[in-house]
Amino acid sequence: MRRYGPAALLALVGAAILRVSLFSDLYLRYVQAGLRPYLVVSGAVLVLLAVTVGVLARTAGEPTDEQADERTGERTDEVPEASAEHAGHSHGPAGPRVAWFLTLPALALLLVPPPALGSYSAEREAAQRAAQGTGTFPALPSGNPLDLTLGEFGSRAVYDSGRSLRGRTIRLTGFVTRDDDGTWYVTRLLVSCCAADASAAKAEVRGADAPPVDTWVTVTGTWRPKGALGSAAAWPPVLDATSVRRVPQPDNPYEKR
Amino acid sequence: MENQRTVADGLRMGLRALVYAALGGAALIAIATVVSVLGPMLALDLYSPPVAAWWTVFTAIAVQGVPFLLLGTVVSAAIGAFVPERVFTRLLPRREALAVPVAGAAGVVLPGCECASVPVAGSLMRRGVAPAAALAFLLSAPAINPVVLVATSVAFPGQPQMVLGRLVASLATAVVMGWLWARFGKEEWLRPPQRNTAHGPGGGPRAFVSGLQHDFLHAGGFLVVGAAAAATFDIVVPGSVLEVFTGSVWLSVLLLAVLAVVLCVCSEADAFVAASLSGFSPTARLAFMVVGPMVDLKLIALQTGTFGRSFALRFSSATWLVAVASSVLVGWWLL
Repeated sequence: MRRYGPAALLALVGAAILRVSLFSDLYLRYVQAGLRPYLVVSGAVLVLLAVTVGVLARTAGEPTDEQADERTGERTDEVPEASAEHAGHSHGPAGPRVAWFLTLPALALLLVPPPALGSYSAEREAAQRAAQGTGTFPALPSGNPLDLTLGEFGSRAVYDSGRSLRGRTIRLTGFVTRDDDGTWYVTRLLVSCCAADASAAKAEVRGADAPPVDTWVTVTGTWRPKGALGSAAAWPPVLDATSVRRVPQPDNPYEKR
Repeated sequence: MENQRTVADGLRMGLRALVYAALGGAALIAIATVVSVLGPMLALDLYSPPVAAWWTVFTAIAVQGVPFLLLGTVVSAAIGAFVPERVFTRLLPRREALAVPVAGAAGVVLPGCECASVPVAGSLMRRGVAPAAALAFLLSAPAINPVVLVATSVAFPGQPQMVLGRLVASLATAVVMGWLWARFGKEEWLRPPQRNTAHGPGGGPRAFVSGLQHDFLHAGGFLVVGAAAAATFDIVVPGSVLEVFTGSVWLSVLLLAVLAVVLCVCSEADAFVAASLSGFSPTARLAFMVVGPMVDLKLIALQTGTFGRSFALRFSSATWLVAVASSVLVGWWLL
């Protein structure tokens, strides 16, 4: 195990990366979509490297194994010198010890992939809106109802002086979050790189009963203008719902910021 | 005699194989049972929303970091294995004061993280490079190489001034520290680095593979530690406490500069952590990215191992001060 430790670790990490990027869409819970090719290549390289390291350890290890009994004295001499030279950087033949921490995320990804972030994180994130001025937006595409991301709906509702949302039937998909006073929102997390930088976009839903928190829903309705354009009172935007339908969690649980 | 010996050897080998198989099998069965029985229970019990969010953020930072870490270690292992070190020596000017900025700028060519730069700086000193120049290289290499700068620009889309700020502030810190060492440094603080036997001498494909394996595992381990710390920070610390710090520019710079030391995030991944600290001012995040690759707990440990404790403590504390000052100045100028 000491000899093959590094190879086993590399194989484990490679397998975990390939499992979430090549063999499933699970990587979308953690990172943005554009990273997939890099993840697939990294996973493949790691598995290759594991095989090479394993083969090298096998060929390099054979003579020392036969001489192991004679060399034990020599080896114990080497240990204090090596640890004095690398305090906090100790490694024997099994490679750097800190590397074993890699088993934590690797096993988590292989056995129990952590879920996508949901209402807990959305409520912790103070909804931060980019400080942008009001202005006109490009015309909305046709479509009835029109599918919009929550990010787009929010910025058009708060900042669009052309009021392009007026009179359109909008369809939004996200999970349910609630306030203490019973108001409920359809919410989506926006991610630019990985789940660690998630921030929330949400729209208040009126005219429909609230499903349980964290249920994924598609809400169809019309925009109800609120507050002065670009002011804090205009946030969060409001949707008068005509229908609320439960849906399975989409492959990509986040929106690109 | 010969025959008896081979029979005894064969018996011993057979016995050993049997013991290994039995032990390994038992361990595998035990692990499989525990995981299959306890796994779902634990998953239900422990997957309260904060714990689940911790795991997600933790794995997200680790997954995000792996491709960059691998790219960096592949290139640095290739340079370590195929580029002779005396090339660096030949390229440096003889005068120390001139050699420092050149060595600092030469950090561009070592696309590795800070774990890789410590052994390289040690070997440069062994090859007769002036300590001041080698130290400037040690500080600048993990911060200003292309891999790190590309990672920074990916983490901060549409903010090229962040990449430029990181380059300028890091290079300035490295050069100032090199000059400070040339002026005030004492040889006796610096234990001359001995031959590093752990990584093996020589070059070639075998050195490449062993260097790559070592660097990736070593840095990967520290990446995981950093991801865990960052995820804990993300989940445990309530937003209101951060707002106290984010409210004050000075406190937030100092807080993130301390955080960079504690979190020990690899320089190839720290831009993503910095980007996730969205409540802080750009200058504070710049300080996080300038301090992180130069001073952190794992680097202090690494330097203690390579150059001795009296060096590591003096050098790290001085570097921290210079790095904070430099990022405040550059942040005020550029961001």
